[in-house]
Amino acid sequence: MKKILMCLFALLVAAPAYAIDGDELLKQIDRNLNPESYEMYRKIINIEPDGRKKEYTLFSVKKGDDKVVALFLAPASEKGRSTLRLGDNMWLYIPNVGKPVRITSLQSVVGGVFNNSDILQLDYAAEYDVEKIEETGNEYLLHLKAKTKTVAYDRIKLWADKNKKLPTKIECLTEASMLIKTLYFKEVKDFGGGIVRPSVMETDSPLYQGYKSVMLFANIKKKEFKDEVFTLTFMPNIESLRK
Amino acid sequence: MTVVVVILISSVSFGEEYEFDLSEIEKKPYHIGGYIEFRPAFFWLDKDAALYKLRFFNQDEGNTIEEYNGNIQLEGSYEKGIARLFVLVNGNLTYSYQGWSDSLDLYEGTLSLKPSDSLAIDLGKKVQKWGKGYAWNPVAFVDRLKDPEEPDLAREGFWMASADYIKSFDGPLKTLSMTPVILPVYEHINDDFGKINELNVAGRLYLLLYDTDIDLMFLTGGSRTPRFGFDFSRNIITNLEIHGEFAYINNFKQKTIDEQGKVSESKFDAKSYLLGVRYLAETDTTFILEYYHNGTGYTQNEIETFFSFVNNSYETYLSSQNRTSFTKAQNLAQGNYSKVNPMRDYLYLRVTQKDPFNILYFTPALTGIMSLNDGSFSLSPELTYAGITNLELRLKATANVGQNKSEYGEKPSDFRLELRARYYF
Repeated sequence: MKKILMCLFALLVAAPAYAIDGDELLKQIDRNLNPESYEMYRKIINIEPDGRKKEYTLFSVKKGDDKVVALFLAPASEKGRSTLRLGDNMWLYIPNVGKPVRITSLQSVVGGVFNNSDILQLDYAAEYDVEKIEETGNEYLLHLKAKTKTVAYDRIKLWADKNKKLPTKIECLTEASMLIKTLYFKEVKDFGGGIVRPSVMETDSPLYQGYKSVMLFANIKKKEFKDEVFTLTFMPNIESLRK
Repeated sequence: MTVVVVILISSVSFGEEYEFDLSEIEKKPYHIGGYIEFRPAFFWLDKDAALYKLRFFNQDEGNTIEEYNGNIQLEGSYEKGIARLFVLVNGNLTYSYQGWSDSLDLYEGTLSLKPSDSLAIDLGKKVQKWGKGYAWNPVAFVDRLKDPEEPDLAREGFWMASADYIKSFDGPLKTLSMTPVILPVYEHINDDFGKINELNVAGRLYLLLYDTDIDLMFLTGGSRTPRFGFDFSRNIITNLEIHGEFAYINNFKQKTIDEQGKVSESKFDAKSYLLGVRYLAETDTTFILEYYHNGTGYTQNEIETFFSFVNNSYETYLSSQNRTSFTKAQNLAQGNYSKVNPMRDYLYLRVTQKDPFNILYFTPALTGIMSLNDGSFSLSPELTYAGITNLELRLKATANVGQNKSEYGEKPSDFRLELRARYYF
């Protein structure tokens, strides 16, 4: 009897170490990466195999689970373009040319390795369920499965720092677990307002041999916006949100 | 004294150091930008074509002609409080077989007031861009016609007062927006829109309902006959989008000519519609396919009669130097007969391949436009490279193929080769 009680006690003590709530952990990782509603600036650098580079500067705004817009500030050839995501719907607006057109998450408005879903990223917990968690040294490895068929990557393997609960590496995979691209999160920085997160995201892909893309983050701020900002009609006016 | 603080965020990535200069994202109250373009073009002429005869009836320029176009598009804006002033100007300088010519047009010029994120009021010259079609927009009631061969080019707007009111909701109806438009047509104000001394009213209601973009629109007021329509766009699956437009035009007036040169006018209710799909294949190939029924267009018989009249007038002119009927043909050609696509039914296909052979920013494309009524078509292969920051290079060829008295068979040139070098600043 004593042995049984000891075993039960041992199990009770040990249980919290293994009963990690995957979905809760993923939500924590999301919140540590970005506030639920925010504005931020990004620079995307596409690097070709011969070392040539092309840079894009974007202003982005996100609200809640499913609303995000991005406005191109540079280069001059892209200035004024904006992209909007409302859940699974995505549009591209090119000023002076036409009305917003629907685009898909797999396309890329900037070329290179980052596609539209990387640029208009929602919370991971909004798009993925946690299937399994592994612990590897100082990191968690979360195996994520897309909630719907419309999500850009069917599966994701997300490595997160155990202490900071921030991603360090993400592998984006197809349904058959074929690697599409790898994202590397680097240089954790204090952005102010309690936001401490990686300031650099690199990516490479076996589908783009020799090509690399880098995303630099700046001025991430918690901010609330009206729902009307995330509409097709508002797309030509996103610049007015910048103060 | 203003102190400009330049903050550089340095990051080491892939063994290299990158900098994010925060002065790049500093908001300025003004903006000036645009592009400058050089576009030489070469035309291989079809001397038997009706439209060649109309243009070159009294001159022989040989089998080929050259054209050198210089274009500048300049935009500027100034923002203060809730007000924003925006100007878009297009300037063109051309050297062709006719010598030098130039133009300078105000494409857009608006004063916008934005008292809140839900409301914007615009006064001035503006392009509304109604419709979901890529090549044609039958519901674009208050815009100039789009050129399906260059649908991405900026167009000149009309003077108008308009507003956008937006409201978002939770549930199946996510967005509702309303755009009322007042478009005056008087001497020197929008006088190419239609009948002058009329105040026209138009409107658009946009809904994002069950993940589908839906627009309902109308135009009334007297400069053009009343019309209403709708459009929609939706992603069926992630990489397949469908769209469509329908326009009903009340009491449309159309002038036609018979082989003797007698012009008659008919009046009818016209229905125009468009159905299209946009598909992105796993190979990063995009297909845009559209069918367009132009209810205001000419039948095959009517267009053949017009071409016959042009040919007969030309023969009369050659034999007698009498230009009466030929001038009549030229005048008619300035009207509906010279519209970009004057016939009834069209098919449009554009295939673009992004980054083939792993060449980033390189986009080959093939565009075909077929007039289904007579089987004639144009085919345009093109190569675009945008790998150098702010520079875009495009080489485009266009072949016009068709029988005698067909739309593309009677174009003044059989073949066109064009280079476009555009630098953005």
